[in-house]
Amino acid sequence: MTDTKDTQTSGLGFMGQRVQRVEDDRLLVGKGEFVADVLPEGVLHAAFLRSPFPHATINSINVTAAARLPGVHKVFTGAELNAITNPFLPMFMADGVYTPLYKCMSDEKVRHVGDLVALVVAESRYVAEDALELIEIDYTELTPVGTIDQALEPNREQLWEKADGNVLGNLSDSFGPVDQVFSRADHVITRTFECPRQTNQPMETRGTVVKVDKATGHLEIHNTSQAPHALKWALAAMLTDEGGIKNFGKFVRNADRRQAFTAAAKDFLSKNKESLKAQDNAGQVSQLKKDKSLLKHQGKMAMGLLASTDYPTVKAGDIGGAFGSKGPITREDVAVAAAAKKLGKSVQWIEDRVENLMDGGQAREEQFTISMAVDSDGTLRGMKVDFVLDQGAYPGFPISSLIIPLLWKLYMPGPYNIEAFELNGQIVATNKGRVVPYRGPWANETWLRERMLDVVARELNITPADLRAKNVMREGSMPDAFITGPTIDETMSVAKTFDRALEMIDFDQLEEDKAAAEAKGHRLGLGIASYHEAAPGPPNFFSSAQPGSDMLLSEDGRAEIQADGRIVMYTSQSPHGQSHETTYKQVAADEFGVPLEDVEIVWGDTDRTQFSFLGTGGSRGGPLGAGVMRMTARELRRQVTDVAADMLEAASSDIEIIDGNIHVAGVPAKGITYADVAAKVATDKRTTSGPVFTEQMQYDGVGNGGWSVATHVAWVDIDLETGLVEIPRYLVVEDCGPIINPGVVDGQIRGGVAQGVGAVFYERHHYDEQANLLSTTYMDYLVPTAMEIPHIDIEHMETLTDGENDARGTGEGGMIGAPAALTNAVSDALGVEVYEQYLPPYRILELAGVIDR
Amino acid sequence: MSLPSVNAPIGQTLPISVTINETAHSLDIEPRRSLADVIREDVGLTGTHLGCEHGVCGACTILVDGEPSRACLMLGVHADGAEITTIEGLAEPDGTKHPIQEAMKQAMSFQCAFCSPGFLMSTVALLRDNPNPTEAEIREELSGNLCRCTGYTSIVEGVETAVTLLGSSALGSTGDQATGGVA
Repeated sequence: MTDTKDTQTSGLGFMGQRVQRVEDDRLLVGKGEFVADVLPEGVLHAAFLRSPFPHATINSINVTAAARLPGVHKVFTGAELNAITNPFLPMFMADGVYTPLYKCMSDEKVRHVGDLVALVVAESRYVAEDALELIEIDYTELTPVGTIDQALEPNREQLWEKADGNVLGNLSDSFGPVDQVFSRADHVITRTFECPRQTNQPMETRGTVVKVDKATGHLEIHNTSQAPHALKWALAAMLTDEGGIKNFGKFVRNADRRQAFTAAAKDFLSKNKESLKAQDNAGQVSQLKKDKSLLKHQGKMAMGLLASTDYPTVKAGDIGGAFGSKGPITREDVAVAAAAKKLGKSVQWIEDRVENLMDGGQAREEQFTISMAVDSDGTLRGMKVDFVLDQGAYPGFPISSLIIPLLWKLYMPGPYNIEAFELNGQIVATNKGRVVPYRGPWANETWLRERMLDVVARELNITPADLRAKNVMREGSMPDAFITGPTIDETMSVAKTFDRALEMIDFDQLEEDKAAAEAKGHRLGLGIASYHEAAPGPPNFFSSAQPGSDMLLSEDGRAEIQADGRIVMYTSQSPHGQSHETTYKQVAADEFGVPLEDVEIVWGDTDRTQFSFLGTGGSRGGPLGAGVMRMTARELRRQVTDVAADMLEAASSDIEIIDGNIHVAGVPAKGITYADVAAKVATDKRTTSGPVFTEQMQYDGVGNGGWSVATHVAWVDIDLETGLVEIPRYLVVEDCGPIINPGVVDGQIRGGVAQGVGAVFYERHHYDEQANLLSTTYMDYLVPTAMEIPHIDIEHMETLTDGENDARGTGEGGMIGAPAALTNAVSDALGVEVYEQYLPPYRILELAGVIDR
Repeated sequence: MSLPSVNAPIGQTLPISVTINETAHSLDIEPRRSLADVIREDVGLTGTHLGCEHGVCGACTILVDGEPSRACLMLGVHADGAEITTIEGLAEPDGTKHPIQEAMKQAMSFQCAFCSPGFLMSTVALLRDNPNPTEAEIREELSGNLCRCTGYTSIVEGVETAVTLLGSSALGSTGDQATGGVA
């Protein structure tokens, strides 16, 4: 099955092996360092007062009694923290979209249950929470916006006064001759679908520990961040407290800063010339039409960044999962940092689970109306989709939920040949928690399309498998690009996974099993779903969504050999369960020809790693993160080989390195070590410590595809008495190219599918029509247990390309495919169409006609 | 164990004696302080994790007098006189992993591993009471622990591997527990 090319491995051959995780040597013995474990001497503890109302104005706030409580160091009102911080600004804008600016606290109006009103810093979390109860606030309730339908009502109370009602964005785009295709196709089939709110729910909540250096005032922030560098820059900007003019003066007087800035700006401009040229200013125009204050704040923060010589240090240690939720920078991050800076004392804030359910990250509350134009023989012709996305109250930062429809635009037609596609829709604000990226943030395009394909198949009286087989893009007739723009190469191998999946389904057995199930009052069904995802995608991927939006996407990395011979690799990723340390050691050890333990991986510390806007996200850790580790390691090996060749009086081309032994080929007994080479260079350089070899690179991946693809097949067995669903078999046939570590890849796939199972059968983040959150505990929001998640069979295809580092990401796919395969299976089992993603037992019984709706 | 009054005024402390991982501790703690906070912050054993603080996720599971218990649902004062084992108490003093820890590593059971202390402590109790559980029994016994990363199969495999390792060590064989590296 695996026909890994020779070029994919070198040295000791760790690539492709199921290497056990080095992380486990600390994590399984209780020696990890998670954010809550960071308790510097004398640290104070913070707790937020949160709004009990979904929508209200704040008339007055009285903190006198709370501030007097023994053990309380300071009670900050929202206004006090807002006065010393700058707002969250839109970083990514698009035509037709308005992104409200907001501050770290709410001082006049609250917009969701759990909105931040005051912050107590005390000697313990217990005392801080006592003080919260002593704060008196007078609210006037406003009419809440609890549903998408309410958000679309023209005269509803507005969350954001500068918006058009509660609509924040109108997006529209089309590809191909839509009208012509829809007027000429034999059939146009239209259906409406909806997905309820979900939440990421990593087992570790968010947290931040801000250490303040008493002598210098320097902030060192330990944070559960997927993107520590973005957090560092955002905090540096948002904590800028002096005026722009004063800071500009400081900058002008500081020659070192000026020179550094000029060099960095030149570097940025030259690297991003094409992207900058491609950008239009339509997004900024849309934003400024609504709110011109953007320019003023941008100016102040930019001057602050220019003048400051002391940016915070951000450190991410061990992180207990995220699934996208710990990428965005949050209001709590800013508020706690501002409070610690103001007090000059270290402060820890650890979110509790109720807070996490209220505002730790929510996702996927979306409605769609889809029309498919199709000919009677099953040929797909065109697709039109209208959507409404419920972004909650506050836009995500630095990337708002705007990114989701932009990705839908590229992905929605899927891996099928199609002539025309149109997408229209709205982003609305409601009185709910923040929408964040959640594992395949765009995943509902796959759910919608794959569910609709089954509907269409049934309408045309052909099988779902036949409909897909007829339309899936195949080698031989593969276009060079999707009609939505992104280019295609051999990594777009969905057809391979689909064909293999069909081979692995025993359709005769399925009929027998269906009959057997029916005989005992059950219903059995099978569902198929295919998808492709950009992991990392082709070079034109993001620019296809919006011209010029492909900046800041390179992956940086650095390799060093220290004077004592130690090999140290610095990644800009921020791992939180993906086993980067193990897999990057595999890649680097192979390149250097050394054992795993000879390589150290450094991550998460902004003082030691290169800048990365994204950190860990977007399924980039395998293709780009490991890629830059490999390329920097290779370059250092070349340099080491040259020095070793001199030392061994041989030609560089004759040098071999095996198990750390650097020798002339065929003469291993006369070998030297990395330590010997490092010592020689250190002596020559008259140094005894620090790096003697260093290589730093930016890496953008290979090829014109970078697609990670899969076909999922779900079997469901439904008990018509209880409405409970069992999953007797679940199959994933996937192609993520060459696998670095199958244990890690399989884990990512299974974990993703498990979240998909949760989304369909157990998890609904439930707000009532008045925007009150009903699922505020794990008794209400049901994360599946070992009893609910089935075995998952995984078949790997491993299509290789001519390029190196052509591993494709696999972190998100499980969750992209699963909801579609599972709902298709339920539909097949019950013989009814399913138009919603969440199917708890009562809904299953309604669909089956066992109980009335 | 006798339960002291938990209605003491805020700030007042009560003395307790508790043995954690075979080390005796005499502590003065506020009656309202949770056992989890006592273990993590007062004793400094941060291997016990808090995931939900309302008794559902199981990340804080420890052994209290041998029984798996939620450290977030107990007050520190309730542990007066108790013998407690936490994740830090499983490995040998020289750092050699407990067979269950070794098994979970071999099976690549976890990802972020935030939940792992709870799973490991639940597994210690499970395999002590039922050394050869079926897969269904493992899944049921571990259903009081939530993991969001793995989809559980690898954890179940870890328990099955532990059965093998514990079986071979019970027979006096040291097994090949320190393979590390490539499996």
